[in-house]
Amino acid sequence: MSRPQPTTRRSVKTEYIETDTGNKISRRAFIEGKQNIMLGGKTVLMAGVHLRGDLCRKPEPAAAGEKEKPNTTAVSIGRATVVSTNAVIRPPMRVHKGQMTFIPMRIGDNVFIGPNAHISSASISSHVYIGENAVLSPLCIVKEGSKILPNTVVPPGMTVPAGTVVGGKPAKILGEVGDGWGQGGGVEGEEWVEGGDLRPLVRSIK
Amino acid sequence: MTTAFPSSLYACPCSDLSSAPTPSSKRASIQPNTLELSGDQAFNPHSPRANYALYPLSDLLYCEECDEIRCPRCWTEEILYWYCPNCLFDVPSSTVKGDGNRCSRSCYNCPSCTTPLQITQVSHRDEGLLKPTDAAGGDETYVLQCQYCDWSSLEIDVRFSKPTKITEQLAKQRKARVSGKEDTAPSDKKVTAPDDVFASLVSFYKDQLDESGDSRNPYSNSPYNSPANLARIMSLYGGLSYNALKKTREKPQPMREALGAPEGLFSFGTDRSDTEIISRMQTSGWDATPTAEQQLSAPVNHDIRFADELWPSATQLRTRRAKRCKNCRHIIARQEPKVGNMRYKIRLLAMNYIPRLSIRPLHPTMPLTNPAFNLKPEMPQHELLQPHKAQQYVLTIRNALFETVKISLATPATTPGKVASRVTILCPSFTVGPAGDVWDEALSASAEPNSDGGRKAAMASLTGSSESSDRQPEAGKIWERTRNSTSVIVEVVPGALQQPPSIVRKTDKELADEELEEDDDVLEVPVYVRTEWEMEVKPGESVQAKKDANAMPGEKVGKELGYWVVLAVGRIAG
Repeated sequence: MSRPQPTTRRSVKTEYIETDTGNKISRRAFIEGKQNIMLGGKTVLMAGVHLRGDLCRKPEPAAAGEKEKPNTTAVSIGRATVVSTNAVIRPPMRVHKGQMTFIPMRIGDNVFIGPNAHISSASISSHVYIGENAVLSPLCIVKEGSKILPNTVVPPGMTVPAGTVVGGKPAKILGEVGDGWGQGGGVEGEEWVEGGDLRPLVRSIK
Repeated sequence: MTTAFPSSLYACPCSDLSSAPTPSSKRASIQPNTLELSGDQAFNPHSPRANYALYPLSDLLYCEECDEIRCPRCWTEEILYWYCPNCLFDVPSSTVKGDGNRCSRSCYNCPSCTTPLQITQVSHRDEGLLKPTDAAGGDETYVLQCQYCDWSSLEIDVRFSKPTKITEQLAKQRKARVSGKEDTAPSDKKVTAPDDVFASLVSFYKDQLDESGDSRNPYSNSPYNSPANLARIMSLYGGLSYNALKKTREKPQPMREALGAPEGLFSFGTDRSDTEIISRMQTSGWDATPTAEQQLSAPVNHDIRFADELWPSATQLRTRRAKRCKNCRHIIARQEPKVGNMRYKIRLLAMNYIPRLSIRPLHPTMPLTNPAFNLKPEMPQHELLQPHKAQQYVLTIRNALFETVKISLATPATTPGKVASRVTILCPSFTVGPAGDVWDEALSASAEPNSDGGRKAAMASLTGSSESSDRQPEAGKIWERTRNSTSVIVEVVPGALQQPPSIVRKTDKELADEELEEDDDVLEVPVYVRTEWEMEVKPGESVQAKKDANAMPGEKVGKELGYWVVLAVGRIAG
């Protein structure tokens, strides 16, 4: 578990706080329930990002004589994932047997989440590109290497298959990503590409 | 066409829009390192068909056998597997052939908005939602519900007794409904599912074929089955002539078409009277009628008249396809045949073979950003290009091969399209060093400390420090060179959007020609790139057909490739 350490590098007042694993968290991000959030390392949370780690499954009260259970994870984000300005990430909720429970949300590696996006999906796999202003409704599942166009509304419970391009309100599968999806980054002028390795982009954010 | 600047799109040489410059000037033996272009030969990025010929480099593949770029128009696809995009199960091809291309599991789409439907439990009003469901209560029902537009199968009065086997339950209810309608409707017109109609039509035509052909022919599967074929073969071996034989036989009965519903005739029209439909439309209005899209969502919805009759449509399957070169039939891209697995077994991307072009301003006014990665909501405004004001750009050609390539560039003196801008490439032919891995670069950089001057220059040009502003671009000189890339300067003088006023009165046609259409103000520079390189024939490698047939292993074989690239520079100010 890596959590922001506000005490480090206080002397240099930068926009981002960098953790030991290389996560960059903006001082202007709104993060709730830090103990329930996992960041994989080299992940960027930009200014104005709302990350709701407090929306997690309530741990069952410990029985007498038992130790208190450790905290459950509400949001886990992989490596080199970029959450752009003003994006909102909140775990989805479901009524199960008359009880409201929050489902832990999983976001993979090298995922780009565009500005003003609203994410409530159950899981997002790696190498996914989410355009700006996209809305990912509760409990949708986004599979590996897919692209969500800007201003898309992915309806609740929809599965976005691997390697597809979705768009529209509600989202429809519009096509497939090219065979070179995520390839060809790492050269000058095109250091990072959609669906590719986002580490250079993470490095460039200061 | 393009919204982000600067960008580059590649035209596959298979398109007839992208013809190579004239062969005489193309031949290197006559005029080494020069390419000449006349006006008509240039690729016109503003042509309406150009959109279908230009691709981003990541979408193009490369055939190693033919040594050519391959685009969706010059590769063939073959289906690896079918899968349902909702439940992500793959469907065997035999099932697809038998049951059609729809998911037979419990995957249904909302007929009103295409969202995947979800099975929701509905309990009776007396029982509170919070009450835990006890197993004894057998009267709980399930419905299909859309979480997006709130459509539910209650609207067509469909409920399910169990949350599994939805397809069977739905089919049963449909059947009951259709047969129930038949009983009430006294007319002999039958409303049947399109599948049934098709089946009866097929059987009808099969009968017709059997009747018209010689049904007692024992060789029904042999090439002698049809009388015409038999006669032709007989005439080959002498005997009566084909025509004479034809006359002797009586003409086959012409086939008739289906006449009634049992034979598969399907006439538009339902068992309801038109007046009933019209009066209902009058009262309920336009909103109660389905849109064309909703009607076409599934065959069951094809001839419904009102939105409340929409039947949920089973999710259509999708395919994953392998790509083959049309010419030599070699596979150029193939994924692992497993649903959701994005790993490739074979993938010959064009970006790993052909030089990549990128353009950027020599003196950028703002830091260059990747337009796809807008990190902030406000869009950076692109500066408009001023007409008649010369701009200099750095055109970088990056080599992807492990051999040094010779590059010749050619561009029309004025860009094609309604707005003619002048373009000059200051150094049209040069070489680009081989690509290697990062270690090579690091080792060579440490060996000669001067070699990172290129990077320094790049940094300087980005930051706009005085170091680079001292340097003036010169004709015939390379601007910058790194291990596997070479940059040259391109001078662009944007044309004016408005034609200068003339004394001679213009005809209507001329005026109409001057009228600018959408994206005519985008300055796009077509550049023809010809690359030449030498490749060693490795022993044991399949020696390619055609020109390299007599090359021996170890010998060097010259190769060349030519293609058009369209560089979008920016918009011209009006």
